[in-house]
Amino acid sequence: MHSILTVDDDENDQFICTYTIRRFDPDIKVLKAMNGLEALNLLRGTTPDAVILDINMPVMNGFEFLEHYKKEFDTHAPVVAMLTSSHHAADRERALRYDFVKSYFEKPLTPENLRVMSVLLGKEKHRT
Amino acid sequence: MRQDHPAIVSGMLTGWISIGVGSAIMALWLAQPIDLALAAPVLFAMQFNTALCFVVSGAAVCLLLADARRMSIVLAGLAALFAAAMLAEHILAIDLKIDRLFITPFVTVGANPAGRMAPNAALCFVLINAAVILSGILGRTSHIRVVLAALVFLISTSALLAYLLTISTAHNWLPLARMSPQTAFCFFALSTGLIFTGIERLGYHPPVVAATLAAATYFLLLTLTYVELRRQEVLFTQELPASEHGNARSTLLAVLLLSGAVYACLIIYAFRSSERSRKMALQLSESRKRLAAIIDTAADGFITIDQRGTILSVNPACEAIFGYPADEMIRQNIKMLMPRHDDHKQYAASAEETGMAATAGAVRELEGQRKDGSTFPADLSVARIDLDDQVLYSSVVRDISERKAYERDILDANAELEEFSYRTSHDLRSPIASSLGLMSIVQDMIRQGAGVPELQPVLSRIDQSFRKLDHLIQNIILLTRTKVMDEPESTIPVAHTVRETLERLRHMDGGRLSTVHIDIPDTMVVRRKASRFQIIVDNLLSNAIKYHDPAEQVPEIFVRASAVKGRFVLSVADNGLGIPPGSEPQLFQMFKRFHPQHAPGSGLGLYILRKSVEHLGGTVAYRRQDKGSIFTVTLPEEKRR
Repeated sequence: MHSILTVDDDENDQFICTYTIRRFDPDIKVLKAMNGLEALNLLRGTTPDAVILDINMPVMNGFEFLEHYKKEFDTHAPVVAMLTSSHHAADRERALRYDFVKSYFEKPLTPENLRVMSVLLGKEKHRT
Repeated sequence: MRQDHPAIVSGMLTGWISIGVGSAIMALWLAQPIDLALAAPVLFAMQFNTALCFVVSGAAVCLLLADARRMSIVLAGLAALFAAAMLAEHILAIDLKIDRLFITPFVTVGANPAGRMAPNAALCFVLINAAVILSGILGRTSHIRVVLAALVFLISTSALLAYLLTISTAHNWLPLARMSPQTAFCFFALSTGLIFTGIERLGYHPPVVAATLAAATYFLLLTLTYVELRRQEVLFTQELPASEHGNARSTLLAVLLLSGAVYACLIIYAFRSSERSRKMALQLSESRKRLAAIIDTAADGFITIDQRGTILSVNPACEAIFGYPADEMIRQNIKMLMPRHDDHKQYAASAEETGMAATAGAVRELEGQRKDGSTFPADLSVARIDLDDQVLYSSVVRDISERKAYERDILDANAELEEFSYRTSHDLRSPIASSLGLMSIVQDMIRQGAGVPELQPVLSRIDQSFRKLDHLIQNIILLTRTKVMDEPESTIPVAHTVRETLERLRHMDGGRLSTVHIDIPDTMVVRRKASRFQIIVDNLLSNAIKYHDPAEQVPEIFVRASAVKGRFVLSVADNGLGIPPGSEPQLFQMFKRFHPQHAPGSGLGLYILRKSVEHLGGTVAYRRQDKGSIFTVTLPEEKRR
């Protein structure tokens, strides 16, 4: 993994993501977007190795972002959804319906999450 | 004793007849017209005593019917005593010296001692007056009264009929009929009056009673005739020799008697059956009236149509439901009331469809149309009525727009509640998740040997998270209070409240940046629920301050309040950020945020504002400006106290 895009409206959550990724692997480049709209604009210029996506955001939420990302882009970076609570089965299923959404984690992001992610994405890469 | 008016009047009439005839005969006795006595001796067949008793008895009956019971009992008692004494004279063959108590008769008619009342007349007086006394004491009519009067009726009627049939020998040919025609007539009148006044109270119908009396009289006459003829037959048996095969006359008599009995039974039967059919007709009309009363007062519309869909009848509820007067609906096609219900064939088909299940209450929903063209959802159940010559459809229509509205409200409220629980669970968990993440970062940094200056920003982020959580919880508490709290109205000075609120808001971020213009008369007061009014003012002003445009050189806020046609209008305008185009529909919904980067918020503020305004019966509107927003709150006219 060389670059990860984190999409989250909450500054604290962004801070946690950045810190955790740095601690995991300082070489990974962290791109930031405050909402779905910003993320889409950013993705038009570059395709990161992974996207960490918050679902509950104002302006354009995670689901709206996924819908646009699916329709407007041909190549998709693998996405991992961040859920506030994993108890909402409907949210979980709705996110996993997109084939480029590889997994979901419950907030906050932990180093363990990143390890799982890298294994998951490594496999993906291996497969393709 | 309350009785039916016509019965009272006719009863009174019989009393007056008795008094009239009695008085006339008394006058004749007093006038002593010898010539008249010789020319028409039958006039004097009624003794003076008898005539007097008729006057007294007639008066007793009238008084009874006029409800003067005590007086009536006294008079009837006197007459009964006098008649009983006369009767005793006859039976015991004694002379009590009362025959000529009042006058000494100037002529003698018949076989009785001069001035003495005939025995059967005396008996009738005893019976009649006993009936009157009984009624007077009981205060109501009774079976015994009817039986006593009926006996008198039988005696007097048989006497009258005997006079009609064989005029010359009448007053002599039977012991019971030995009574002058005027006496018989008076007894007939009095007994009729006593029988028929209030007979219905006892549950009998006058025609049946009359028929029974007629039949009984007829039967009595027949029996008496038969007995008399048998007696005569025995007397003259030599002249009427019996053949071997019996006496032809006695056979004839037996046949006559039998036919009389059959006739009597037939009369009674005919009257009873006519009475029964009358009762049935009455019941039928009663049940029809009852049904009509139900249909006329029902809240549901009842419509009857024929096979072509022509409306035959509607009930008053239909007028209320559809807005047409009944005569504008009758003879029209059902299409005018249910246009979407294509045509009557479908209507009929739906009846066939639901016909079987109609009894089980199969109801279908369709659209009704009122006279003014507006439509409403309606429940319709149709039942097929097979008559001998045609098929009708009877339908019940119910306007269910109110129910539908409630259903919608409940669904809306439910959806809102679900959204609320979803969002709160998310928004409550979110700051905690952040704090947990930040805490592990702090621990990690400490393990790395980080110093206080490096830890400080992370700690303040934790602090920020908890403040966010606290703010949300405060708002949820406020919302719950808005929903459940009930408080009385109080008088609120508007300008003062706005200034006070602004002063409080000065301490929030950007609170000192905006210039606020207040255009509210100092004297203006409103009478509302104070805490909700405060929530409204708080929300409007804090939003205007919070979402000012940082790029604007002079952030300005205009607060205006006015009374328009009794309504209170409060508007807050700003030249701030406004909201993104197209997001108006979400503006007043819960957990909608439009400037998350600009200022913190729970997304509940405008939702709480709307709920508070609606609680006060008002509305809140948003209008986009070239630069900024105007929020206008309109509260309805104050209730007069």
